[in-house]
Amino acid sequence: MRFRFCGDLDCPDWVLAEISTLAKLSSVKMKLLCAQVLKDLLDEGIDYDKVTKLTADAKFESGDIKASVAVLSFIFSSAAKHDVDSESLSSELQQLGLPKEHTTGLCKSYEDKHSALQDKLRETSLRLGRLESVSWRVDYTLSSSELREVNEPVIQLKLEAQGAESGSTETTVVSVSADKFRVLLAELKQAQAMMNALQ
Amino acid sequence: MAVLLSRLPHSDCLNLCHRVVDGLCGREPPRWADYSSTWSLQEWLELLSSLTTLFRLAVQSSNSDEEVLALLSDVGSSHAKAVLSVLRSRQEEICHALLDRTNSISSATLQDFEWQLKLALSSDKISSLHSPLLSLSLDVRDNGALQPVTMELSREELSKLINALEAANKVVLQLK
Repeated sequence: MRFRFCGDLDCPDWVLAEISTLAKLSSVKMKLLCAQVLKDLLDEGIDYDKVTKLTADAKFESGDIKASVAVLSFIFSSAAKHDVDSESLSSELQQLGLPKEHTTGLCKSYEDKHSALQDKLRETSLRLGRLESVSWRVDYTLSSSELREVNEPVIQLKLEAQGAESGSTETTVVSVSADKFRVLLAELKQAQAMMNALQ
Repeated sequence: MAVLLSRLPHSDCLNLCHRVVDGLCGREPPRWADYSSTWSLQEWLELLSSLTTLFRLAVQSSNSDEEVLALLSDVGSSHAKAVLSVLRSRQEEICHALLDRTNSISSATLQDFEWQLKLALSSDKISSLHSPLLSLSLDVRDNGALQPVTMELSREELSKLINALEAANKVVLQLK
């Protein structure tokens, strides 16, 4: 069997196995657990004490707790990754043996956070460098040892960009002549127009 | 310089002067090998440096024709006129080169830039990414060495950059 939320592939065996672990929780508790896992995926911070309390009734050991968090994480992130709507996810999870009430709760939580999850995934996708900040200063050069009367503006730019490796910030300080600066700005605007036309 | 320069026929003098200006503007300077039959190496270096200095100083202090000819008084008049004509026709170019040098005093300068607009389609995190990215590569010349700086900008980052540059541009336009 192929599942859309697994990217049109077979469901991994461990996911299949842990879905039955989820079924041991009450549907209400599982929905609350879903909220915690979604918080974790959205970087809002998971509350492990709460997770332990939610799973206490079902007498989960730490291995079961880890497995249920992992399987919910997988379901949510994989479904969001492949842009599966909540109805399709619901029917696929029921085919995999998750009880109806559990599925409804899970899919409701998924539906609410669907776009937030996708934004998060988009944001955390591989990027080769990001621009963090731009500072500038316009100078007017009056005279120099090379030329007695200069009277030309020159733009000092400081660009702080994050490198391909996370955490490495690269600072570039560069002075740009007025002519070059105008060309740079015009071309960047041209690129921006093309970028906007893509929407 | 006078004696040295007059060894060259008038037409060759014009040619040499243009090549000296080329060198001054950061392109390939004339080579001694082409003139080794006319001058010794020492004479060549002396001539080259005095011609370069002459062009530079004349543009630097925006000398009038008379002032330039006065500097060239010991050179034959046809040769002096050749030097002057090269100076006048390449004046703007020399001025530009000196301006570039001025800008690179004690700071790195932007030599060139290139950009590339890409549409990111998919990633390991999300199957349909569909977001445009701009790769911007800046060639920064620092102390003569060219150093490439590359960055990748999203739509938001690009508009942040453009807004900053736009604000600076406003100030530049007011200066004119």
